[in-house]
Amino acid sequence: MEDNKTLKSKIYTVSELNLEIRKNLESSYSDIWLEGEVSNFYFHDKKHMYFDLKDENSKIRVVMFHSNNKNLLFNIKEGLHILINGYVSVYEKRGEYQIVALDARPVGKGSLILAFEQLKEKLEKKGYFDRIHKKNIPILPNKIGIATSVGGAVIRDIISVLERRFKNFHLIIRDVNVQGITSSDEICKAIDDLCQYGVDVIILARGGGSLEDLWAFNTEKLAEKIFDCPVPLISAVGHETDYTISDFVADKRAATPSVAGEVVILNKTEAVENLKEASKKIKNLVKSKMAILKKEFNFLTSRRIFIKPETILNKFNQAAGELCIKLIGNMKRLIRAREKILSDYRQLIDEKNIFKRIYIYRMAIKNMDIRIISDIKNYLTLKKSRLKLILENLQGKNPVAILERGFAIIYKEKEDKNIKSIDEVKINQKVRIMLTDGILNARIFKKIYKKLEIGFKNEN
Amino acid sequence: MKIEKMSFEESITKLEEIVKELEDENISLEESMEKFEMGIKLSSNCLKRLNEAEGKIEELTRSEDGKLVTRELDLEKENK
Repeated sequence: MEDNKTLKSKIYTVSELNLEIRKNLESSYSDIWLEGEVSNFYFHDKKHMYFDLKDENSKIRVVMFHSNNKNLLFNIKEGLHILINGYVSVYEKRGEYQIVALDARPVGKGSLILAFEQLKEKLEKKGYFDRIHKKNIPILPNKIGIATSVGGAVIRDIISVLERRFKNFHLIIRDVNVQGITSSDEICKAIDDLCQYGVDVIILARGGGSLEDLWAFNTEKLAEKIFDCPVPLISAVGHETDYTISDFVADKRAATPSVAGEVVILNKTEAVENLKEASKKIKNLVKSKMAILKKEFNFLTSRRIFIKPETILNKFNQAAGELCIKLIGNMKRLIRAREKILSDYRQLIDEKNIFKRIYIYRMAIKNMDIRIISDIKNYLTLKKSRLKLILENLQGKNPVAILERGFAIIYKEKEDKNIKSIDEVKINQKVRIMLTDGILNARIFKKIYKKLEIGFKNEN
Repeated sequence: MKIEKMSFEESITKLEEIVKELEDENISLEESMEKFEMGIKLSSNCLKRLNEAEGKIEELTRSEDGKLVTRELDLEKENK
């Protein structure tokens, strides 16, 4: 420590040294131009640009801050040969020196041309110029919208063309600056307003000028606005040889503003002429068609059949008469034939014979009657004698007959069921004894069991 | 499609079609009368539409309260 204090030279801190170097470098290289090829390009968050500029043997770090690069028309890209303006400085945190670029421009061609080419390439890749996106321009717009400078000659050119083509055209003008920083934004706004107001077609118009003059029509913002525009749009910017991005994106490019007046609406005189011509043609075609048909009609109606239609009728009348006669003859013949068949059958029938046969059958029936009656009588007699026999037989089995032979039937006092065994009654029980001529009411005094088997057997 | 609803372009195309159809000799009388009627209607409708536009030049601006307004514009006077 003490040794250090005795040193004559100043001892820096790192920060002090870096600061001093930075100050020296910044004052020595405060405004320099440097040319080289871009490499290691890095666009941090689309804000600050970091890259190297190099030649065959050497390279140097470059930083271009957002505030300086935001107005660049072209894009800095890897490999691009550019010229930058700025100063040399030190990034003290790392002790690295670098150039802080304030401006950049392409080497070889103008930055506007490069920017134009870059944007054109980009939009083309995105399909902004594709045929498929092009809307048809109406041939009879009711309202024509136009964004241009009211003060310029362009609007007068267009109006004079419109007046020549279509007397009662309706033009909605939106006054815009067609050059300057605000121009592009103004034109975008004009497109929005015209769409909102409601027009059938929009023209963007500007007279000729340098690439820089026409720059408002080469911005990406306007390109996107035109691409998204729902209304058909015509780009009419500059001279015939001038091309702008808007020309490519628009639904139609008019080589000059005057041409826009031509393509935006049909020629009324011509249109009226064409319509009248078409009407006339239609009328004539139908007329000649009618004439041909009339001729044909006349030819047909002049034929005999139409002049004397009764000739046809006469022919049919005659045929009908002949047929009628034929029909009646045929009918008559038919009737005669049937009549003959009928009389033939009549002859076959013999009346006398029929009556004789009826008599014979009557007699036969009478005989049969007599026979049937005697048969029935015999049958009845037979049946009667059989019945008598049966009745006599039955007599023997009649209980009344049994009673007559001296037997009796015993009933209980109150039941009509006859008693068949002495077991059915008790001593002193009252019974009824039925005989052939009456009933005896009796009482049982005694029961004597004695089977009468032998007696019954003998009887059987 | 109804004639009134057709665009001007469609009407013109249809009219041209009708002319072509009428030029065909084989078309029936009935059909040709139909086409004739339609053709005449189309033609007069187109003529009518040609006169529909209002025939004026207006300037479109935004008023102070942001509303879209138009006013008729006389460019000759504007210039002076």
